[in-house]
Amino acid sequence: MSEDSIANELNKDGVSRRDFMKLCGLMAGMMGLEYLPPSAKNVIGGNLRSAYAPAQLVAKALSEKPRLPVIWLELQDCAGCSEALTRSQSPTLGNLVLNSITVEYHETLSAAAGFQAEEAKQAAMKKYAGQYILVVEGSVSPKDDGIYCTIGGKSSLSLLQEAAAGAAAIVATGNCAAFGGLPKAKPNPTGAKGVWEVIKDKPVVNIPGCPAIPEAFTGTLLHFLVFGALPELDNLHRPKMFYGNTIHDRCLRRPFYEAGKFAASYDDEGARKGYCLYKLGCKGPTTYNACAVIKWSQGLSFPVQSGHPCLGCSEPNFWDGGGFYQGQSAILDKPTAVLVGAAAGAGAVIGLGAAAANSAQKKAAKKHPEEKKE
Amino acid sequence: MTWTDVLTFARGPLFQASLLIFIAGMIYRLVRVIFLGWSPDKVKNKGSKAGGVVMAYLKSFLIWPFIPWVKNTFKKNPLIYIAGGIFHLGLFVVLVLGTAHMLVWKSLLGFGWSTLPLPIVDWMAAVTICAMVVLFINRLINPVLKLISGPAEWLNLLFVFLPMITGYILTHHLFFRYEVSYSIHMLCVDFLLIWIPFSRISHFIFYFFSKTIHGEEFGKRGVKA
Repeated sequence: MSEDSIANELNKDGVSRRDFMKLCGLMAGMMGLEYLPPSAKNVIGGNLRSAYAPAQLVAKALSEKPRLPVIWLELQDCAGCSEALTRSQSPTLGNLVLNSITVEYHETLSAAAGFQAEEAKQAAMKKYAGQYILVVEGSVSPKDDGIYCTIGGKSSLSLLQEAAAGAAAIVATGNCAAFGGLPKAKPNPTGAKGVWEVIKDKPVVNIPGCPAIPEAFTGTLLHFLVFGALPELDNLHRPKMFYGNTIHDRCLRRPFYEAGKFAASYDDEGARKGYCLYKLGCKGPTTYNACAVIKWSQGLSFPVQSGHPCLGCSEPNFWDGGGFYQGQSAILDKPTAVLVGAAAGAGAVIGLGAAAANSAQKKAAKKHPEEKKE
Repeated sequence: MTWTDVLTFARGPLFQASLLIFIAGMIYRLVRVIFLGWSPDKVKNKGSKAGGVVMAYLKSFLIWPFIPWVKNTFKKNPLIYIAGGIFHLGLFVVLVLGTAHMLVWKSLLGFGWSTLPLPIVDWMAAVTICAMVVLFINRLINPVLKLISGPAEWLNLLFVFLPMITGYILTHHLFFRYEVSYSIHMLCVDFLLIWIPFSRISHFIFYFFSKTIHGEEFGKRGVKA
């Protein structure tokens, strides 16, 4: 990685000034920069005064700042988040992330393999100590000394701790890295955990989702690049600009919810008319993510639009949060017949005991009527 | 600890525990009442016991919606008679014919049924909440009711009111984030489930017992009640 600015790098690659400004506008839009984020106020003083300002701000940052080194760890994952990112909305954007943001180490994407790749990682970690962004995909498995996930003979936990030590910030992408995801599903045999449960001394941003929305991931990285600071986070460490609203809040089927029109199965009249999928188990009302706005596959569609209820994949423990096709109001754990029987039995026994005590009292009162008067 | 955790707890283990306490409590109450003792039946029947029971139920289900004015309770205080009736009807509609609640029943019983459209259930809920307010004010200003109202009566009103109002807030996404309203709603419901067996709200089952036994008595003695 050279220390040249991103704008110059892009220029060398043949990106014209016009295309560069378009890109800046796109990035500003993607980050939702209609106002100056509070976390960036210390970095850049003042306010955004006009509609053009956000794009100018991004352009200024890109023309001054060198590229951002990224080290990408894959732990207990399926590489789905990387897959999603390589299919990111705009080719220029994907190019920006994969080339200009400089992924120094990525198991799936790098040409090098084995010891070569590990050496490259060590070199990058040394060279950019304190500067690089550590992206983690997949959950950590500290259980049983981390034997359930090892790379190059090292456990996932030690790999994460080693890489986190020199990171400027950590971005946990996908539900696995953020909240443990699928590996954490009951009974959680590997003791899977999210990154923020393990690393406490570095800022951790969670970009949950299964996979994470590529634009949410890129937007967060860009935010760090442009403002030199992480975006504003919610209580689960998710960037508010992408996870500020629920799927339900922005859902295109929301009017049907308000009108009480629900699809009762996947091919009934309601489903064909595009009615609300609440009855089919949609988790939209409690799921914070940007699917309904940014959508997937170049803005083509998202699950609810294509007729499938939201699974709530950007929420902690979504895998154990009730049946995917069970309405959200349904209870999570149905008591077993044995438990119900035991409860009923206990009630009956106590009731009989009380009744016996009552009748004994009555008999005693009949035998000694004089006691009653006292 | 986030609201999602609270929600998972309130929908999962806490609900299950509340439900078990509810079942145990109701069975306890029933067994106790049944074994209180039955007075020996020494008199010859004047009329049909079964006929008396049928008449008692027919009257209780037909008088309120169709000819309420034959009742003294209606003549003396029609507003309260109607408010009480609407409250019970609304509660039934919301709990059984509301889509979200049907899904709860379905998850417990394994089968569902068709429900009323949300706007209708919604209006019923609003009317029920208003009826509760009317009943509360009545209890507050009626001198006789005031005398016989102890803390238990006020708490009964409150504990039924809370799930109703939080449910309304939840459906309309008012004031709070969805999972917050939902958590509060579930916590109220869980508490109510534990409260019911040990309060007079248990009349939702005992009513039918007393109705049956009274009807039987009326039938046996040939009383035109």
